[in-house]
Amino acid sequence: MRRSWVVPALIFFAASAALARAQMYPRATPLPQTTSVPALRALATQREVVERFHRGLAAEERRDWAAAAAEFERIVTLNPGEPQNSTARYDLAIAYANLHRLDDAARLLHEAIARDPGFLAAMANLIAVDLARGDLRDARTVADRFVTAAPDSARALYGRGLVALRSGDNATARNDFGKLLQANPAYAVAHYDLGLAQVRSNQYASAEREFQLAVDLAPAYSRARFALGTVLLREGKREQARAAFASVANDSAGDPALRNLAVAMRDAIKSR
Amino acid sequence: MMSRRWLRLFVLAAFIAVCTLGFGYGYAGAQSLQAMLDGALQTSAAPGLLGPITEAGRVGWACKPEQMAGAGAWQNAELPQP
Repeated sequence: MRRSWVVPALIFFAASAALARAQMYPRATPLPQTTSVPALRALATQREVVERFHRGLAAEERRDWAAAAAEFERIVTLNPGEPQNSTARYDLAIAYANLHRLDDAARLLHEAIARDPGFLAAMANLIAVDLARGDLRDARTVADRFVTAAPDSARALYGRGLVALRSGDNATARNDFGKLLQANPAYAVAHYDLGLAQVRSNQYASAEREFQLAVDLAPAYSRARFALGTVLLREGKREQARAAFASVANDSAGDPALRNLAVAMRDAIKSR
Repeated sequence: MMSRRWLRLFVLAAFIAVCTLGFGYGYAGAQSLQAMLDGALQTSAAPGLLGPITEAGRVGWACKPEQMAGAGAWQNAELPQP
């Protein structure tokens, strides 16, 4: 009876040891077992693709974007199969975005998603690139697709909420930031953006609550504190507003424009 | 008598003009102040780019960018900090 478990345990041990060896010592590139010219050419191409991936990634790691772009451009020209084709376009888009070739980056990310429709990282980066180049319409299309593909993704909800807020769709912004906050109630930035959407919908009491939560979660969040001051001022709470602006004036040395505005507001309220 | 009447009318007209100007100036000031405040309420920053992916592609336990894109927790998604 006692030996009944020994045999399965030995089999399991042998199998896991074999798996561990396979992971620790990956097989070297196999020697070609063919004399067919097309097959040899395909093997050489595959070898070049892998090698250029390694070189391109190393270049991106040292932030040499031009060198990285050259490697990934060559891979795209070689037109490998999936997943390398969409991945090379994704990596090339990163290099182009850092070279400020934003339109090229967006085109490549669209191509990557067309080849791999579930490519979430490509959708996330395309939204970031679209926001940088000011194409809110394309950003919204991609963001809708991203939320559909990954409805619980924090990136998807944040991205679409931000695009909606910047394009005046306050209802979608409120909905997305609200949903993001259900899963992440301690994320101060989402409270701030939800507050902005509420201000733009004339919901000042709700906005005040969100800005206050953002400030409670991140006391050094000057932009949220300034927003709180503006809402308090709208609500006629002048003393509280002045205190908020005074606090921003003291704590926002890293943002001179915001600090100057806060000083002007503090003094304007004081002098009345 | 006529001159005093004209004087009164002139003073009244001047008073109305000053009030109108004052109201207009104040209203414009309030509007510009509100516009200035609204302009200061900018949205938060756009998220940064997710990192590169190896030749193995996005599918697999080692692909961090794809994991970040699908993560539900903001700390795992490389979203902007306050």
